[in-house]
Amino acid sequence: MPTQFEELQARANKRWAELTEGDSAWIRVGGGTSGQAAGTDAVFDAAKSAVESTGVNANVSMVSAMGLMYLEPQLDILMPNGSRVFYGNVESHEVADIVEHHVQNGEPLTERAFAYSGGDGSGFGNLPELKSMPTVALQQRIATRNFGDTDPHDLLQYVANGGYTALNRALTEMTPEEIVDEVKAAGLRGRGGAAFPAGVKWSFLAPSKAPVKYVLCNCEEGDPGAFNDKGIIENDPHTLIEGLIINGYATRSTHGYVFIRTGHELPIEAARKAIADAYEAGLLGKNILGTDFSFEMEVSLTGDSYVAGEETALMEAIEGKRSTPRFKPPFPAAAGLWQKPTNINNVKTISYVPEIVRNGSEWFKGIGTETTSGTAIVCLSGHITYPGMYEVPMGMTIREVLEKVGGGVSEGERIKVLQAGGPLNGLLGEEAFDTMIDFDAMSAAGASIGSGGIIVGNETVNVVDLLRSLIAFNQFESCGKCFPCRLGNTHMLEILDRMCQNKAKSADLALLERVGTSMKAGSLCGHGQLGFNPIASALKYFGDEIKSCLAGEIAPGGVYGDGTMILPTRTRP
Amino acid sequence: MADGTTFKIDGREVVAKPGQTILQAAMDEEIYIPYLCYYPKMKPQGSCRACMVEVEANGRKMTVASCTTPPMPDADVTTNSEEVQGLRRNVVELLMSEHPHGCLTCHRIELCGPQDICQRHVTVTDRCTICPKNERCELKDTVRSVELDLRTPLNYHRRDLPIHVDDPFYDRDYNLCIVCSRCVRVCDEVRFDTALTLTSRSGVALVGTSHGTSLLESGCEFCGACVDVCPTGSLTERNYKWEKAVSEVTTVCTNCPVGCQMIAEVNKFGKVVRFKADLAGAANNGQACMAGKFGYEYTNDSLRLKRPYVREDGILKKATWAEALDKISAGLGNHAADEVAVITSPRGSNEDHYVAAKFAKTVLKTPNIDSALNADNALLSRLETRIGTGAASNPIWDLEGAKSLLVVTGNPTEEQNVLAVPAKKAVREGAKLVVIDSRETELTRYANEWLRPRPGSEALLIAGISRAILDEALEDQDFVSSRIENAEELKQALWKFDLAKVSRDAGIDEEQIRRAARVFAESDAGAIILGNDGLTDSTTERVVDASVDLAAITGNLGKPSSGIFPLYQGANTLGARNVGAVAGDKGRDIQGMISAMSSGDVKAALIMADGVSGFTPSLRSLPAALERLDFLVVSAAFDSEITHHADVVLPAATYAEQNSTVTNLERRVQLLRVTAEPRHEERTGWETVASIANAMGGDGFVYSSASTVFDEIAENVAVYAGLTYELLQSGGIQYPVFTPNSEILFSDSDSKISVSNPDYDELAGSITSDKLTFAPGRVLNQPERDVVVRKPAEMNYVDREQLIQIHPDDAKSAGLNEGDMIQVKSDNGHVLARGKAVFESPQVGLVGSTTLFGELATEMHELESADWTPHMPGLGLSSATLEAAPVGQGTGAAAD
Repeated sequence: MPTQFEELQARANKRWAELTEGDSAWIRVGGGTSGQAAGTDAVFDAAKSAVESTGVNANVSMVSAMGLMYLEPQLDILMPNGSRVFYGNVESHEVADIVEHHVQNGEPLTERAFAYSGGDGSGFGNLPELKSMPTVALQQRIATRNFGDTDPHDLLQYVANGGYTALNRALTEMTPEEIVDEVKAAGLRGRGGAAFPAGVKWSFLAPSKAPVKYVLCNCEEGDPGAFNDKGIIENDPHTLIEGLIINGYATRSTHGYVFIRTGHELPIEAARKAIADAYEAGLLGKNILGTDFSFEMEVSLTGDSYVAGEETALMEAIEGKRSTPRFKPPFPAAAGLWQKPTNINNVKTISYVPEIVRNGSEWFKGIGTETTSGTAIVCLSGHITYPGMYEVPMGMTIREVLEKVGGGVSEGERIKVLQAGGPLNGLLGEEAFDTMIDFDAMSAAGASIGSGGIIVGNETVNVVDLLRSLIAFNQFESCGKCFPCRLGNTHMLEILDRMCQNKAKSADLALLERVGTSMKAGSLCGHGQLGFNPIASALKYFGDEIKSCLAGEIAPGGVYGDGTMILPTRTRP
Repeated sequence: MADGTTFKIDGREVVAKPGQTILQAAMDEEIYIPYLCYYPKMKPQGSCRACMVEVEANGRKMTVASCTTPPMPDADVTTNSEEVQGLRRNVVELLMSEHPHGCLTCHRIELCGPQDICQRHVTVTDRCTICPKNERCELKDTVRSVELDLRTPLNYHRRDLPIHVDDPFYDRDYNLCIVCSRCVRVCDEVRFDTALTLTSRSGVALVGTSHGTSLLESGCEFCGACVDVCPTGSLTERNYKWEKAVSEVTTVCTNCPVGCQMIAEVNKFGKVVRFKADLAGAANNGQACMAGKFGYEYTNDSLRLKRPYVREDGILKKATWAEALDKISAGLGNHAADEVAVITSPRGSNEDHYVAAKFAKTVLKTPNIDSALNADNALLSRLETRIGTGAASNPIWDLEGAKSLLVVTGNPTEEQNVLAVPAKKAVREGAKLVVIDSRETELTRYANEWLRPRPGSEALLIAGISRAILDEALEDQDFVSSRIENAEELKQALWKFDLAKVSRDAGIDEEQIRRAARVFAESDAGAIILGNDGLTDSTTERVVDASVDLAAITGNLGKPSSGIFPLYQGANTLGARNVGAVAGDKGRDIQGMISAMSSGDVKAALIMADGVSGFTPSLRSLPAALERLDFLVVSAAFDSEITHHADVVLPAATYAEQNSTVTNLERRVQLLRVTAEPRHEERTGWETVASIANAMGGDGFVYSSASTVFDEIAENVAVYAGLTYELLQSGGIQYPVFTPNSEILFSDSDSKISVSNPDYDELAGSITSDKLTFAPGRVLNQPERDVVVRKPAEMNYVDREQLIQIHPDDAKSAGLNEGDMIQVKSDNGHVLARGKAVFESPQVGLVGSTTLFGELATEMHELESADWTPHMPGLGLSSATLEAAPVGQGTGAAAD
């Protein structure tokens, strides 16, 4: 008799075969938040009506985005012969033409396409193969393995591509301890920024015999320039759900929460739908897949608060309180959500778990560097030719990512500054571009992978202005609980305001450092402790530029106070 | 860990108790670490970072906030290294950038007066000398401990916010706020009110009210806990705002029987300028209420009676004590024993009551003596019969550990306020609450089951709960078999109760009765808080019986966090009863005296009138009755409707002007201390009575001091045997004294309790026969209803539509419809309430309405009498009629 999971797999494979192996073509339109912003909805509608009006035999789906945001809106067509051609920057009025030529007449519009895959090997003229494109070739997709291929709202498509086999294996073949050991052996480090070994964190929670234990997954993701957590949830929510269930099993927890910031609409919708589908399929709830393990999961939302992403503030938020950090100890593993033992992990961390369980720790350990195994999911934005979300192996240098994957600077001559890992982390100048993407190497360079966002600035970016924007963000987002952060950020912002207005005196730099040091040593949580990082790193890489502005000179190529910044009136009554 | 952690602070070996943080351990050792957001008896917060210390343990060195960090064994803590001090200085410097600090950072801080010219040009409004908290500012201590420079390079931003001076009793000046959130936290985690909250975030985070700008609608109970904990001048009592205290005296509040230990601050003119709840107080654990915190200043009032007055030609004229006493000797001595009566003050001390009782017995030879608020006679006397003492079986703060609570016809949040604090804490921590009350009170808002029965059916309902417990075998079988003398009798009696009939007669769903039974009986520790608001004496006795039975069968006697807590009136009613100042079998009690005065049977009386007011429901007919007396002596602090009828008025000393003892509802004998000497010819109660007794030739009324009176009490009154002032100096003592575990009655496992033999028809007979009963309610806030706060003049006041809850059947018989403007009238035509009719009453015959505590606070604040606490109207039930409101009457909270 087939097991419950085998039955599910059989249904999934049937569904996938219908889509990919039948007589119909499959038109996939890349979705996601950035696709939506680029106009993907209109393209999708146009594709549907084109199929209707031409009467061709084709399925149309809104699938996950590939992460190549510079090509959005994006549409691809899989023909029954197995060839797949990708069209980028599609405008809705072109869709009918593409469908008519490609599906009806069997003549792809290669001049409008950017790549192809599959088929009989003869290719399509000059059109490059997808996997040969540098933005794809250099990637190694683990957490984002299904991007561009499956419909995030369809559980069966996920299962058909190997989904939930890891969960099935974990529940039927492995003990919780073995999973924790596997994750430890894989060297998976937390991707939320602190880079703490995930397996070790899990092992704090696992031994507790408490009747109720929680595993939380953090998708507050408020860092400007970071969109990989949202990206994973909206494009492939089940990889997260599966990982979180495994996390729950490994730590013998009873409840999971996916915590998402209000306003991240597509991820919220995707996570809710995925959880409901997982319940429906017996992957959540009582006796998962017919085993003894039971696990409940739900989505919890915050208000607009950056600090709600701090792990204990997040727990306060779930409890319905003002999201301010708690002091530690007690640590969450002892008393977390509702004072129960709790583990909290970032979306990316959890999303690697299914593949680690499926392929083994050795495989994962083999990717990346000695100290940081696996991949980095970087989000490139700013003055970069190919903005997007790319999963690259740890150990690539920043320069490789920028030049080869990102295609180098856009609108300008050179990349001057990088803001990596969110506004609590450092700025990087050109001399640091040969740093490896690796937790330890980055931190030695005075920056951090952090959340994975890299905002690129060309030579027109003024560092003091950039600093001011970052500190204004930090100041505005301080929860106001501990004195050093609440007041320190306000004063740092004030000093930067003066610098931007050419009113700063040379003593202001020392003052900035003094305030920054108090914040670092005195603050309750990371928001204040790390708040001086951008300035510290800017002094390291752009010291001259900052000092020149103290002397009352305008730095070359820069304009202070260009009006793009948050006005100080928002931060004072 | 159980016996603590040994570590070192600044080289000194320190043992931290389990659960203590480094800061708490240091405070126990009197090692100074500055702090601003931490406050004793509150959870640590970790936000001010002023308490940072250096910890070296296991070879690692780190800087931590000592208020949140537990010590590690063998850790080395340094509180004052250069580095820590520098860090602290930087944090305080940041703080100074939003708090006026010209004086705080100046070396002349102790030298300048308010009128001095400032050499440093500190703006007048930024000076410490004009700050109301100048002499007691915690921020100042912290700033001085870190030795700031004269100036800081950081920009100073004054918030320039308007000061809130338009709510009752205290002012809020958020320009001085440092956002330590002590006030928010004390309101939330100690008082469970959440009237205050943090608003906004980042640099503009501040404290405010949860719904808007006024405290009147935010759920504030004006307990003043936030004012007591505020480390700066942000929150200050409005009266004597700028007064400097020169001494502090620990004493006891005499407004209700909780007996909160308070610290009175006295200025150099001998005025009591502030009352703070004492953190060391066993009965109140650092808490107080609106009356205790703000209702003290009558002792300073200029309208106080200063000397005796004697009535001549119908006019009260100034007299000497000797003249007055002559007149009294004649007046009182002139009557037969049964024609005189003595009424003692509810605020009176044990000494006052003892001497008054002795005077009545040996000089007047009359049995007619009672304490003015001993109207709860039945509650206490029945409890005396049933559990041996008319007092709580357990300590008040024992309530915080209760797992289930039953509150019957009592409103502790208003009348015995601090007793409600541990009860609310228990509920917050998960205890289940059952309330039996026809009125909506604050506690009904937290109730898991609010049984809102037909008035008078309370005893029946409690017996019904007991029946349901037996039905479902939820009783404590061990306790029932080993500790109850006659359990079988009760069981047999209760088997005759038909729950369906109880449900019908009380008007409560049978399933709800069962739920309440489960909620109460299934917990490990259930406490019963027992009031008698709106109950007749006979009903009260039945309610007491049913409650004791319920406590007994559930095994909730003789163990912590359980037991029975009577809610009676009068701060020292229990003491009065103990020392014999109550009517015996032959004497008239207070109600009997009032009717005997009206009928002319009692012709002369001595009244100790401190805290006696015709406003109190049970004393409403007293002033009129006094008119018929031939001779009346009143010892009073103020001219009132009582003194108007007096032939001789004697000036009374107040609570602040005496050493004496009072006994609270948990049997704790506590010491009042002189905070201010009497300025004129005022005498304390016992001095007054002793003077009269001596003038009338009484024997044994020469006392040198209050303590000698108490020594005599200790000799003659068994429960106080062995107590002396000396013993009471270090805090109150609960009787039975010198007995182990005496704080909990029945804790001896050999002690037995007997249960009653209830009769259904007798219990059902208590159900009111009034056609309509008006049951007014009052709550702290009703978030589901809109409240408008208006400011017609200087003060805020609540303006909202009054709703009258009536039953559709009653509306029909009165010819009214839902939505009509109606009024509720008492039998004598007095309008009790006016408002819009809503069909929300659960019982035929029950008319309800709910007002806000904010309205009461405004009313009390605006009262002209300095002694306003006796004027606080309780929520009494009354027989009523309904009618359409006259056209043109406003919709506001009406009552004339």
